[in-house]
Amino acid sequence: MNRKKGDKGFESPRPYKLTHQVVCINNINFQRKSVVGYVELTIFPTVANLNRIKLNSKQCRIYRVRVNDLEAAFIYNDPTLEVCHHESKQRNLNYFSNAYAAAVSAVDPDAGNGELCIKVPSELWKHVDELKVLKVHINFSLDQPKGGLHFVVPNMEGSMAERGAHVFSCGYQNSTRFWFPCVDSYSELCTWKLEYTVDAAMVAVSNGDLVETVYTHDMRKKTFHYMLTIPTAASNISLAIGPFEILVDPYMHEVTHFCLPQLLPLLKHTTSYLHEVFEFYEEILTCRYPYSCFKTVFIDEAYVEVAAYASMSIFSTNLLHSAMIIDETPLTRRCLAQALAQQFFGCFISRMSWSDEWVLKGISGYIYGLWMKKTFGVNEYRHWIKQELDQIVAYELKTGGVLLHPIFGGGKEKDNPASHLHFSIKHPHTLSWEYYTMFQCKAHLVMRLIENRISMEFMLQVFNKLLSLASTASSQKFQSHMWSQMLVSTSGFLKSISNVSGKDIQPLIKQWVDQSGVVKFYGSFAFNRKRNVLELEIKQDYTSPGTQKYVGPLKVTVQELDGSFNHTLQIEENSLKHDIPCHSKSRRNKKKKIPLMNGEEVDMDLSAMDADSPLLWIRIDPDMSVLRKVEFEQSDFMWQYQLRYERDVVAQEEAILALEKFPTPASRLALTDILEQEQCFYRVRMLACFCLAKIANSMVSTWTGPPAMKSLFTRMFCCKTCPNIVKTNNFMNFQSYFLQKTMPVAMALLRDVHNLCPKEVLMFILDLIKYNDNRKNKFSDNYYRAELIDALANSVTPAVSVNNEVRTLDNLNPDVRLILEEITRFLNMEKLLPSYRHTITVSCLKAIRVLQKNGHVPSDPALFKSYAEYGHFVDVRIAALEAVVDYTKVDRSYEELQWLLTMVQNDPVPYIRHKILDMLTKNPPFTKNMESPLCNEALVDQLWKLMNSGTSHDWRLRCGAVDLYFTLFGLSRPSCLPLPELGLVLNLKEKKAVLNPTIIPESVANNQEPVNSTNNHGQSVGFQNTFSNSQEEEEIDMDTVHDSQAFIYHHLNMLERPSTPGTSKFNGKMITSEFSSLCPSFLSHRPGSVYFIPDFKALFNSKEQSSGEMNMHPVSAAPLSVFSKESNSSKHSDHHHHHHHEHKKKKKKHKHKHKHKHKHDTKEKEKDPFAFSNSPASARSIRSPSLSD
Amino acid sequence: GSKHATTPADNYYLARRRTLQVVVSSLLTEAGFESAEKAAVETLTEMLQSYISEIGRSAKSYCEHTARTQPTLSDIVVTLVEMGFNVETLPAYAKRSQRMVITAPPVTNQPVTPKALTAGQNKPHPSHIPGHFPEFPDPHTYIKTPTYREPVSDYQVLRERAASQRRDVERALTRFMAKTGETQSLFKDDVSTFPLIAARPFTVPYLTALLPSELEMQQMEETDSSEQDDQTDTENLPLHMSTDDSGPEKENASVLQQNTSLSGSRNGEENVIDNPYLRPVKKPKIRRKK
Repeated sequence: MNRKKGDKGFESPRPYKLTHQVVCINNINFQRKSVVGYVELTIFPTVANLNRIKLNSKQCRIYRVRVNDLEAAFIYNDPTLEVCHHESKQRNLNYFSNAYAAAVSAVDPDAGNGELCIKVPSELWKHVDELKVLKVHINFSLDQPKGGLHFVVPNMEGSMAERGAHVFSCGYQNSTRFWFPCVDSYSELCTWKLEYTVDAAMVAVSNGDLVETVYTHDMRKKTFHYMLTIPTAASNISLAIGPFEILVDPYMHEVTHFCLPQLLPLLKHTTSYLHEVFEFYEEILTCRYPYSCFKTVFIDEAYVEVAAYASMSIFSTNLLHSAMIIDETPLTRRCLAQALAQQFFGCFISRMSWSDEWVLKGISGYIYGLWMKKTFGVNEYRHWIKQELDQIVAYELKTGGVLLHPIFGGGKEKDNPASHLHFSIKHPHTLSWEYYTMFQCKAHLVMRLIENRISMEFMLQVFNKLLSLASTASSQKFQSHMWSQMLVSTSGFLKSISNVSGKDIQPLIKQWVDQSGVVKFYGSFAFNRKRNVLELEIKQDYTSPGTQKYVGPLKVTVQELDGSFNHTLQIEENSLKHDIPCHSKSRRNKKKKIPLMNGEEVDMDLSAMDADSPLLWIRIDPDMSVLRKVEFEQSDFMWQYQLRYERDVVAQEEAILALEKFPTPASRLALTDILEQEQCFYRVRMLACFCLAKIANSMVSTWTGPPAMKSLFTRMFCCKTCPNIVKTNNFMNFQSYFLQKTMPVAMALLRDVHNLCPKEVLMFILDLIKYNDNRKNKFSDNYYRAELIDALANSVTPAVSVNNEVRTLDNLNPDVRLILEEITRFLNMEKLLPSYRHTITVSCLKAIRVLQKNGHVPSDPALFKSYAEYGHFVDVRIAALEAVVDYTKVDRSYEELQWLLTMVQNDPVPYIRHKILDMLTKNPPFTKNMESPLCNEALVDQLWKLMNSGTSHDWRLRCGAVDLYFTLFGLSRPSCLPLPELGLVLNLKEKKAVLNPTIIPESVANNQEPVNSTNNHGQSVGFQNTFSNSQEEEEIDMDTVHDSQAFIYHHLNMLERPSTPGTSKFNGKMITSEFSSLCPSFLSHRPGSVYFIPDFKALFNSKEQSSGEMNMHPVSAAPLSVFSKESNSSKHSDHHHHHHHEHKKKKKKHKHKHKHKHKHDTKEKEKDPFAFSNSPASARSIRSPSLSD
Repeated sequence: GSKHATTPADNYYLARRRTLQVVVSSLLTEAGFESAEKAAVETLTEMLQSYISEIGRSAKSYCEHTARTQPTLSDIVVTLVEMGFNVETLPAYAKRSQRMVITAPPVTNQPVTPKALTAGQNKPHPSHIPGHFPEFPDPHTYIKTPTYREPVSDYQVLRERAASQRRDVERALTRFMAKTGETQSLFKDDVSTFPLIAARPFTVPYLTALLPSELEMQQMEETDSSEQDDQTDTENLPLHMSTDDSGPEKENASVLQQNTSLSGSRNGEENVIDNPYLRPVKKPKIRRKK
């Protein structure tokens, strides 16, 4: 909507420019979990008639607003609190998603909207007309915030500092409005002054430079003063307060690390690596780190593992580890590197609009990838790219596409760039979390594609250019119009690319950025001996959801006897077949070495290959320069050659996956050879383990020798003298450590002819556990032991049940008894000597669930429920909850489902709440096409309520609830509900009525007549039957009418907004309420709408605020009259309003009143008794002390 | 075996005691008593027994004093004299008319002196030792047999033992914990076979999850010290001790060392680290009172 034309720069959606903001938090009460403070925004009007200022604010209780020291009226209206109204019996997700998207955009700062609307006092109008500075001062408090700020207060004795109580800001995308009023947009930059007064034992960490710390007069508290002189978006402001231990980075003194008490040794070790990441980024970007300081804070109960904000990052404390821990080390380092990459792109450089998000995510993900390549090597990097590619491909094929650059024109199709999805992609806050994750994944992959096209050198030059532009702009302290240079846009980025590289990447952008979907190739070939030509056939599937057609170059690599040759094919509309001439004749002389792609020459045993063909193997798109899935057919020996001799790890992994389909001794040999080869990348070897297990199972009747991998494991890890005993642990060689961990897990998947895990294998694993000895090891073996338990779980096969006997100890399978012994001992030992991150408990819980599921142990969720309680380590809780979710599904337990949903609503940890919904979505108790006793009306109502109003404090959670609702019930009305009360829905947008789409599937399927229901809402009004177009009598659901009207009104206003953005609107509800309020008789209170008078704070009630839609702050008759006039006039785009047209306005208002009344009539009476005090009656009735006069 | 050896001795003792009682009783009858309390008889019996025992003991001493092993009559006489008994009167007393003759107690079996364990053949005297000399003691009392248990150097056995020992300890410990505390069970009908120590939430769950356990710290110390031995760096030791409580990871220790050595080398440059979080907190400005 606010898309700029061309590259002329950024056009703010707001009628003012914010230049500076002060955030002052005077008091933080950990006991009550409350915050008191004020903000002061310095703004410069950019239009003469600015008289309303819209800001974002959620949850905050606003006490007082002053503009240039004059009391100002304000209205608080947050339609996202309750998306659809209570009365609405609509239960279809389509409807909800539309309403939710409308609600979000009604407060979207990128559209110039906000929850908080402040009226500029009339005394200042003249001042404003001269475009002079305004200072907006807002006093607010926050009580028990449910989102945005998270308090962690351990329940124990001692002062808050002793207890390790802390608080930090968190959220999904722009969520700063949850903890202070601001312009919560990534595109509104300003400088900041941040002040936090905290207990003397606490530290407040925030953005920018800590200027000074001053004691309060009683010396019991201190105030941290921060200055952030680099223009920064409010969404990148963060805060963490707690009794942190402070560590100044020994390598870079301007970097400071913070952690919770007692964890300092871990912090030292964990962050000891960070300076290398700094060096790397600064070197490749040839740019200094933009901020003068950097802070890392490690906190408990993190919302996400890594959150990047201006000059600071907030990490989960669970990333900390000691030097003994192997597995966590690379993961934590990756998190640190990710956070740092986002400092450059995401924090320092911000985005113009949501549709430019992909550039930031793409660049930060891309440079993070470069860091990966440098740190972990090319193999790891290529493996990671392959993994990400597989993920995005799988997701897009499943859901129908991820669109990086959604453009929302003004046209009719604006809502449908992603009609396949059950949520709107117009706003970050309506996105499913999984979609957003995949979005980020695709963004960096596309950046890599651009790199492939223009070379890395140019790529880095572009980044450098963006950064230097931004840093020049950021140093222009008083030229705020320059600051928009710090915002990146898609067009700006593309222009930079074409300037720097001189290359046209438009087709690439069109394919992957402006369009969703991936490419699906099917390849097969034949060798034509006569012509010595390889006839390659490449088909595409571009009709399935999530796919698109690819036209363009495609690289194919053919390994022949004489070497490896690259061919670039041109994929065109209709050409499926491609003839590729071969370089070599089929071999007679078998002695010669065969040159590989990397120049290496190797001896191969060529006896397996087809004597007539010189082809060893063929690869399609080996560089992954298309976002694609390739299904390629070649013979088993070719895959085997590819596995053995191709040096690219991606090719090796592909070959391994393909070999699963060829369970032959030759495949077995190839896999075993790879397993033994120490030069081979460890991840490939790990993958080979699992493939070998699968092959062994397919070959079970002809398998000779000991179980797969056993002798290999013995040779590698067991004592020479006593091969049944494993060596004492020594994990110095990480590659073999990972292999040692994985092999038993894969071996446990082996099955004999009876489809049982061979006794030999089970005993082998039990022996590994028995003889495990870590006393001499430098590293912890907790992950290894955990994987041994996983191996035990893998060995479990379904119990043979004799006529459904009850599972008791007496009929316990002896093997299972052995397994249970181990699990019991491990689980109990964890209580005495807990392992790092309780990995062993996690594995034990999983194993117990496996035993339950296979019928060896009675299925019972009680154990898991106790481990899922608050107070256990988060990994343990997740594992336990996963088991409960699984139980809910398998046993169809309504009770457990309720227990889970209660936890979604009440658990103190946001991540757990999110994760439960996520797990329920991934492993749902039922799906929309399934009959289930769990699916009933109460559940529908419950979930509806959850997403409608129960999760308004956390966007991620709400989207999670939407995902779950979609999985359970689909897009249309849930089938377990009784038929809707009406068969007709008015489509006001297109001015026509249609049969209620929610009931169509039902009426067709059940052959039932839509019921003529009585309208039980009590708003039977005028025009219901005028549109009847079917034989039944329909009534119109006034809710539908009302809400969709609101929705449409909003959109009309968005679209037809006059060029003066100051006149933009609230949504329709707001407007209609204004009209109804003209009648003084409607002045009765209704929950949710509050009259607020500055001096009557008592009237302000937080409960009302949270459930309500608007709060009114009429100060005096005069300013408010203008206020409502504007709302009026804005409906008429042609109307240019002035400040002193009261009489005109009144007339208008009457007109409108009339217009609306015939629609809303009685309903509005009970619904919107909201009044503006400019109406003659109300002006008198409200006892407002006139401040302005 | 021991039970059978003592029973005849006990029998003998009882028989003797009974005989002495008869003797006392007859002497009393002789002295004109019609009856006697059991306690009195017992006392007299005891006295008599003591007296006779003393004669025997003393006589043995005299006999051994003269380097003999068998007492002779003269030894008894000397003893009696020494005990103040007029020996002259003894023959007359023995021949008194009214004396009662008591039949000898029916000793069924002689007390078997428990035979010392004979291990092997006693060595015969060599020719230069006269035959009256006592025999050689049993060979086991002087023969040295070099006995040694093979130190268990078999790796397999060692590992086996360590493993089962650890397992036993762990099982016993966890069972104990389970017995003494709250438990959970996987089987509703059975709570003892696989007792699980009940899950108890922590107030600060991340601490136990992240910090190395005591055992691991101990292990780290061990590996540390063994590695430090190689370095022959004795100066590390006190430093190392001081960091014990804060988690003695080797790298941390080494970082610390670096830091201290750094700061030590350029002592005065400590304040080069100008980090705002290390600066002292300022005193509030004195507000002018209105």
